[in-house]
Amino acid sequence: MSAINVRELTPGTSIVLADGAEAEIVTNPGDGMWLFARYLSSPRDPTLVGQEEMIFAPDVVALRR
Amino acid sequence: MAMNDKRGYRSGLVDLRAGEVSREIFVNEHIYAEEQERIFARAWLHVGHESQIPRPGDYFVSSMGEESVILCRDRTDKIHVFLNSCRHRGMKVCRYDQGSTPVFTCPYHGWSYGTDGRLVGVPYFREAYHSRLDKEKWGLVEVAQMHNYKGSIWATWDAAAPGFTEYLGDFTRYLDLQLDGWDGREGQAEVLGGIQKWLVPCNWKFPAENFSGDTYHNISHRSVDLAGIGPSGAGRRDMGERDVSRKLHVCIPDRGHQTIHYVLPAGQLPPPAYQNAPIVAEYFRHCEEEKRRRRGEEARLVGAPGEIFPNTALLSRQPRTMAVWHPRSAHQTECWRWFFVDREAPTEVKHFLRDYYIRYSGPAGMTEQDDMENWNYAHAASRGTIARRYPYNYDQGSGTAVTDYEYQGLRVPGEVIDLTETQSSEQPMRNFYRRWAEFMEADDWSRLATWRGSERKAAE
Repeated sequence: MSAINVRELTPGTSIVLADGAEAEIVTNPGDGMWLFARYLSSPRDPTLVGQEEMIFAPDVVALRR
Repeated sequence: MAMNDKRGYRSGLVDLRAGEVSREIFVNEHIYAEEQERIFARAWLHVGHESQIPRPGDYFVSSMGEESVILCRDRTDKIHVFLNSCRHRGMKVCRYDQGSTPVFTCPYHGWSYGTDGRLVGVPYFREAYHSRLDKEKWGLVEVAQMHNYKGSIWATWDAAAPGFTEYLGDFTRYLDLQLDGWDGREGQAEVLGGIQKWLVPCNWKFPAENFSGDTYHNISHRSVDLAGIGPSGAGRRDMGERDVSRKLHVCIPDRGHQTIHYVLPAGQLPPPAYQNAPIVAEYFRHCEEEKRRRRGEEARLVGAPGEIFPNTALLSRQPRTMAVWHPRSAHQTECWRWFFVDREAPTEVKHFLRDYYIRYSGPAGMTEQDDMENWNYAHAASRGTIARRYPYNYDQGSGTAVTDYEYQGLRVPGEVIDLTETQSSEQPMRNFYRRWAEFMEADDWSRLATWRGSERKAAE
């Protein structure tokens, strides 16, 4: 799988994380390493849904169109 | 290495009684290393100006001594100064000069910090650290004290240092001339354009003592006087006040701050300036009248070059600029120069002043080039084994300063030498090096805040 350039992602984009969770980008600081995103789903830990967290770039495995 | 290894800088290297200062304090790398600990880790240092970071998330990367620091405004509008070094492995977390960001992310392993300094992002926090890393403990290192003085930001690494205004003492009125509006309103200055930065191969104390009030070196600016780079095409400055004022050296003993200064006669406004630019001339004429109305007798003070110990230079009038002499090694100084204008001044005035400022100051400024050449070659010619055996002479005007000088009802606190007839003295340099020696000798502020004892005595 090719790496996703998170610098290019805009707020509102939905992302799929390595653990199967989905999140929506809230802010992109543009450092190429981190995204601020709100969890839409989290099979591993459902309590995360609705919470905003920083997502590390290697954890972003796909974009949900 | 020829060096006085006895404890006691004052007696060994700075001999004020003889008016001699050893060249070792300029060229010796061990002394330079000790300065970082004893001076730059304890003194109040100028970091920047709030107009450089007007919005939340804005930052400006500055220096405190050799340390890179980030001046930034957090999401709640609070201003901070942080060490620009990741707590994980020390990498700079910000490698730009200035900008705006929600986080400072270390490019090495990815630790990320909010603009309030908190550690907010740790890669594999759950997986590799098992959620046990105490993020509260590992935020960016913040300065021990920060002070916003009329928009200028100052900081110290020393929690035990006195507050900034106590550190300034009676020197506040001279910093006010720099930062207040020309019409006498408080804190109206803004930074004009970017910061000029350049390297000079000399010790940081050469520019510091020069801006302490070296009027003796005027001869080295003879070429710019002849070229007429001043605002009105003659000399270096429009300074009609020189012909009517008392010209003073003012030194604040115990603090190490000093300046050249002009005091106008009672009831007299500064003579006209900027005559070749009518809009500019009218602006300053109006401001001088307003200042006299607002400040009264205090408006008789006209600023000139000065130095706040250890490494911040003031020049409140023509060109209105501040500089910081960042130490980079015993033999190299990084000069940073800020230029100021009244923020509500007409655009034409700002443009005119910008052109004049850069013609005068900075690496391309014709006057500052003269200075750099002097510092550069003086330093180089003082490094040799033979050269460093011979001290510099600082004897000019020794024993002639008076305290509590007064001119036509306006009192000037501090040690003062009236230069109107004598033209020059080295009292400011002696004041600077006396303070330098005190910082190098004293282990704590109970010995550095020497004024507290005399204030206590006076109160009793």
